[in-house]
Amino acid sequence: MKKLITALLGASLLSTPVSAQSAWTGGDDQPTSPLACEGESPAPEPGEYNGGTPTDAPDRNGQEITVVDIPKLVGVGYFASTASGMQQAVEELGNITINTDGPTRANIDEQITFVDNYITSGVDGILFAANDPVAIAPVLKRALDAGINVVGYDADAEADARQWFVNQALPNGVAKSMMDQLASEIGEEGSFAIVTSTFTTPNQARWISEMQAYTEKCYPNLTFLETVEAQEDNILSFNQAQTLINKYGDELNGILGMTSVATPAASEAVQQNGLCGKVSVVGLALPNAMKPYINGDCIKSTILWNTVDLGYAAAQVMRQVADGTLEPGATTVNAGRLGELQVVNQSQVLLGAPKVFTKEDINDFDF
Amino acid sequence: MKARSFHGVSSIGQEILLVVVILALFAVVGWINPRFVSENNLTSIFVGNAYIAVAAIGMSLVIISGNIDVSIGALIGVLAVISGLLVTNGYPVWFAWLAPLLIGAAINTLVGCLIAYARVPSIIATLAMLSILSGGLITFTGGQWISGLPGAYQLAQFRLLGVPSPIWFMVGMTIIAALLMRYTAFGRSVYAVGSNPEAARASGIGHASTVVKVFAIHGAIAGVAAVLFATQLQVIQSTTPVGLELVIITASVVGGVSILGGVGTVVGSTLAAILFAAIGSSLIFLNVSAYWLRAVQGVLILATVLADMARRRRTG
Repeated sequence: MKKLITALLGASLLSTPVSAQSAWTGGDDQPTSPLACEGESPAPEPGEYNGGTPTDAPDRNGQEITVVDIPKLVGVGYFASTASGMQQAVEELGNITINTDGPTRANIDEQITFVDNYITSGVDGILFAANDPVAIAPVLKRALDAGINVVGYDADAEADARQWFVNQALPNGVAKSMMDQLASEIGEEGSFAIVTSTFTTPNQARWISEMQAYTEKCYPNLTFLETVEAQEDNILSFNQAQTLINKYGDELNGILGMTSVATPAASEAVQQNGLCGKVSVVGLALPNAMKPYINGDCIKSTILWNTVDLGYAAAQVMRQVADGTLEPGATTVNAGRLGELQVVNQSQVLLGAPKVFTKEDINDFDF
Repeated sequence: MKARSFHGVSSIGQEILLVVVILALFAVVGWINPRFVSENNLTSIFVGNAYIAVAAIGMSLVIISGNIDVSIGALIGVLAVISGLLVTNGYPVWFAWLAPLLIGAAINTLVGCLIAYARVPSIIATLAMLSILSGGLITFTGGQWISGLPGAYQLAQFRLLGVPSPIWFMVGMTIIAALLMRYTAFGRSVYAVGSNPEAARASGIGHASTVVKVFAIHGAIAGVAAVLFATQLQVIQSTTPVGLELVIITASVVGGVSILGGVGTVVGSTLAAILFAAIGSSLIFLNVSAYWLRAVQGVLILATVLADMARRRRTG
């Protein structure tokens, strides 16, 4: 056993530290498309529409319509806030009613039953956030066949099982928000490390690659130290962040949390080490999990999308789909107070840049 | 029955070996990067993993008694959530600390009865309990985290004489359990039941009642581990830590507790838990992928079990 450990240590001595120029660990090999450092990026071509079309839908243009919203589950803060955004749109528009109803746990079988029941009872539109993109597709197709308008948000189904999907964030948008926020907190010449779930988790790997591409373009003097894995485990994330702090000492200026678990845990490590203000934590996390650190002035921000706006945009898109004003081939959508939203990925509407929650507004959100 | 294994003496070699390996690891990695052996990092290694060492104490008792418990990770998750819900719903802090011990003991007394009296194999009984607990937890909490924990509740962040409380719990409970196992009739009956249940029964040792007691103690210890787990951070994650039961079982086995029962000590399992924590930290200091930790744990299990087999063949 001792031999084994000695051998392992010996082998690791030979491996050189990761240089700043090589690929960041934890990224994937997919091509990247970093956004512009300053200002708006030119919108990419959305490509040919690949969503579905309802069969023999009645003319709903300007008509009063009844819509059901079926999120992954009800009774949690996240979908309560998307539902409240939908009700904001309902008030503004005046000719749409939306009733949120869904399973009390994130279960795809129960969600399918809900969709089925609402097809039978007769609605004009269905908004959904799918528990499973493939499993929900057949029942959504039945809704389209029944002439019902179908729009997804938050979690998509197969494209041809719905008309449009409101996408809360694209990887290059997440990357830009993360790195801009980090640079604003630690300066453009600081050093940082990343705490991720695992090196092979698709979302996180995509974001890390986009972050590297954006950093090379916009913040060439930021120093990447290393990426550590922490599954999606609270205590492990804390321990890994703690070890990074111990390992790098003053050299470490910032920690990027790639999961909603890692970010609060890294914040806790910074706080317990008395490093508030010395080591920044920037990452994706639910506002509620970050409130202790942000309200306590230890951490400045947390990044996520605005869930209220997500629900609001989904309701706006539903209205325009029903009116026939949002048709295949459109490149932008007018989404009320959110202004013009881009059409991306053939049949998706992009909510916009992720939101940076700070002490000023984090207490307005409860999820 | 061999007198040597009856008192678990044969595993003392394993403990010395573990101490040597731990010291060697600290020396080598500390030589490469002195920050590894800084007070801060040593504290992190011990504090962050103390709850695993604590839970491994109970697991060692279970395995020594000739049983196994694969539900421990889920049980810790459930007890942590119960504790957090109690304190956030206005119950006094001491009650939120105590309840997990009592509930853990109650749940595992039930499991122990199934094993001892209904003769359900422990792997089956605890596998069923794993499904019940983890399924129930997800259904009940809906994946919501518990936040808004009061500062007075954060037991794992307290210090006594400058030493963080998880280290006190880890060391104190290890010593108490070691004395209990070595010098009391109960301790001897656990070894007896595990090494040769038939002989134990013949010599008048209550097999069933011993197993039930072992599981009850294991449940209460899991409650302590759950409180340390729940009070380390300001939020409680309401999912069960993935693979935690395997880490805990591994600590027991690598600590010298024979998976066949009857042999081992709690000191060994605590040392093994410390070793794993130190290896995990050293991998980051040495820029080695954390994937190696699992591989190393796997190799250590195999090496330990093979050594145990060889020892049994030699003495048998």
